[in-house]
Amino acid sequence: MDNFSKITDDSQNREYSNDEITVFWKPGKCVHATTCYKELIEVFNPRRRPWVNMYGAPTERIIEIVNKCPTEALTYKWNDEAKNKETINLKNERLKKGEGQNVTSQQAKPVTIQVMRDGPLVVQGDFEVFDEKGNKLKHMIMTSFCRCGASNSQPFCDGYHRKIGFNSEK
Amino acid sequence: MEISNNNIPEFKVIANGPLHVKGKITLINTNGEKQELEETWLCRCGNSKNKPFCDGSHKTAGF
Ligand code: SF4
Ligand code: FES
Ligand code: FES
Repeated sequence: MDNFSKITDDSQNREYSNDEITVFWKPGKCVHATTCYKELIEVFNPRRRPWVNMYGAPTERIIEIVNKCPTEALTYKWNDEAKNKETINLKNERLKKGEGQNVTSQQAKPVTIQVMRDGPLVVQGDFEVFDEKGNKLKHMIMTSFCRCGASNSQPFCDGYHRKIGFNSEK
Repeated sequence: MEISNNNIPEFKVIANGPLHVKGKITLINTNGEKQELEETWLCRCGNSKNKPFCDGSHKTAGF
């Protein structure tokens, strides 16, 4: 694990289960894209405690939204270990960031950079990341870049923007 | 022509400076406005007065 886990308070992490899957919630990784609660308020409702209601929608629908979350804030696992092995976990695939992939330009998905208010740059699509020395770090399909200057896992966001109260609008 | 990754956007981290983005991308700003760009420099230091773009402030901010 990266430095991040030590800095952000892991005790905030939560797990929510229904009969089929368990959803993992890491608030430190949330960039407030609001995707989850805009799309499925029956399950993800920040005004409720606990904020995730695993019986608010069918499992397939919950997985669909977890897959849409652009960060590691929401992930899931089947409760049945065998099922984790036989089914493709799209979210985990994406979190592995498509490393080492070789996509031709025809197959490459267009890149969007979403600028998060008081938070990072959320990048999705097919892209390549190079370090300060010009070395190719990796091919990625989803990540968030720090724009507050304070992350401890530069160039990526580690959630620290909230600790420093980053205000991107001033 | 050989198959290359040439058209795949590249994100280059500039030491103590911005993120250099080269290649076609769509930038979605905080207000939801979309912009198609071919090349841009995005602020990583948090100090630009023209966010999300770098305006050179990282130098004075000592990022
Ligand atoms: S979709 Fe993910 S990153 Fe966005 S608000 Fe929900 S948990 Fe946070
Ligand atoms: S923007 Fe998230 S840590 Fe800097
Ligand atoms: S990186 Fe240049 S102004 Fe922030």
